[in-house]
Amino acid sequence: MRETEQKTTDEDYEFVSLCKEGDVDAFEVLVRKHQKRMLNIAYRMIGNYEEACDVVQDAFISAYRSIKGFKGKAKFSTWLYTIVMNLSKNRLKQLRTQLHREKFSIDDPVLTNSGQIRGELASIGPSALESLERRDVQQKVQECINSLDEEFREVLILRDIQGFSYDEIGDVLTVPEGTVKSRLFRAREAVKDCLKKVIGDL
Amino acid sequence: MECSDIQEKLSAYMEGIISHGEKVLIDGHLKACQKCSGSLADLKKTLEYVQNLEEVEPPPWLTGKVMASLRSEGAPKRQIFQRLFYPLHIKLPIEALATIFIAVATIYVFKTMQPEMEGAKAPPAEITSRIPLQEKEKTSPLDEGKPLPAKPTEKFMFSEEREISPGKSLEPPKAPARIAKRDEVEPLADAIGKREYKRKALSPELRAALVERERKGVSLTIDVKDIETAGREIEKAFIKLGGKIIKKEYFDQRNIIAAELDAKKVKDLFEKLNVLGEVKEKALTLETREGDIEIRIEITKIPRGP
Repeated sequence: MRETEQKTTDEDYEFVSLCKEGDVDAFEVLVRKHQKRMLNIAYRMIGNYEEACDVVQDAFISAYRSIKGFKGKAKFSTWLYTIVMNLSKNRLKQLRTQLHREKFSIDDPVLTNSGQIRGELASIGPSALESLERRDVQQKVQECINSLDEEFREVLILRDIQGFSYDEIGDVLTVPEGTVKSRLFRAREAVKDCLKKVIGDL
Repeated sequence: MECSDIQEKLSAYMEGIISHGEKVLIDGHLKACQKCSGSLADLKKTLEYVQNLEEVEPPPWLTGKVMASLRSEGAPKRQIFQRLFYPLHIKLPIEALATIFIAVATIYVFKTMQPEMEGAKAPPAEITSRIPLQEKEKTSPLDEGKPLPAKPTEKFMFSEEREISPGKSLEPPKAPARIAKRDEVEPLADAIGKREYKRKALSPELRAALVERERKGVSLTIDVKDIETAGREIEKAFIKLGGKIIKKEYFDQRNIIAAELDAKKVKDLFEKLNVLGEVKEKALTLETREGDIEIRIEITKIPRGP
């Protein structure tokens, strides 16, 4: 009963079915539809645009490969977000060990946002300054998110950035709703403390 | 409520996911406590910062790259699949033909090699020296009519022949086992021995051995025009009469078929043979026989012309 309900509420159901029959073009529709959200999740998780793009590609490819195993118990999008979340975490681990091996600090070059580089290149005018300031703040917020442990980072991203329901977050992360809430509240507190440090008065 | 308790709940309070009782409590506390209301303000501001994070746009090439890698992933798969299975309708017959060719070649090589192998593996000297020795024993008057000792005759006899020989039941019980064993161990030497003496037909002793051996069963010669057809006909006749073919030997101008047949059916066989060609009996002791006997038929080709 629940499953049929899901199928009717999942707007991707039709295309997913086509994909299961081997229709690659149907998958393109799904990629176009979900890529932005996928990328934003990966980007906020990793904090690096290029890495995030890489992860999203991998996520779509592995989703297509295993689409026959997608049973429709959750929405297709939820399933996709689970994949991209897991791949993002894997990539973070890789980057961390890589950085460790190359003896760079974690928050040095790789995790530095593109904003800083662009800021240097931008001509200094009033609007550019404003833009620089805004980018600077964005940069700092991202850095604060980066400073969170993954389990807190992921709930903050899904809830406060992506606006998912607790229920859906529980599905994506396969953790109970209560855990999602308590992690989220701690994540917010941590970001608040971090922002106070880097920005000063909020 | 302590401030720490309140602060823990501020996040839920802010989202409005809190029980009414708690909400009232926190409302009251926030009015009185500047620290906690400050925390709430900071929290709201934080949330604002986080929510104001700009979304990034996916690069325009992202979809294309994903789809390209999915399609190229599918393509080689199909190629491998095709390479493996598409030419099946060509490959299978080729394989079958190759198998047949190898089988035919093996048989051909084996056949052409056989005489050489005989010469190499069984020096005639050994056989000819053995045979007379054994024949003396065998043809001695004392042994006449008695079962032959297994050992001296085994070079000349089929194991089946011995089984059907009338005196066999009188043989010591150990003998058949031993014979069978010897036959197993030396089948090649056995066959070679048989052939050797037939071909050479050297000494009178050998001839005697032949006669003696063939007295055990029925040996006959049939002259036909087409030895192959006749051979097949005879085989059929044997099978039809419930006989068992023991051995077939093919030579240039003659074929030899040896078979076991119920003595009662031998006459039927003879009728059949008479139709096929001119039958010459070499030794016939039919009347005294019962049970299966061995029949050895030599099919020879009628020489062309008168």
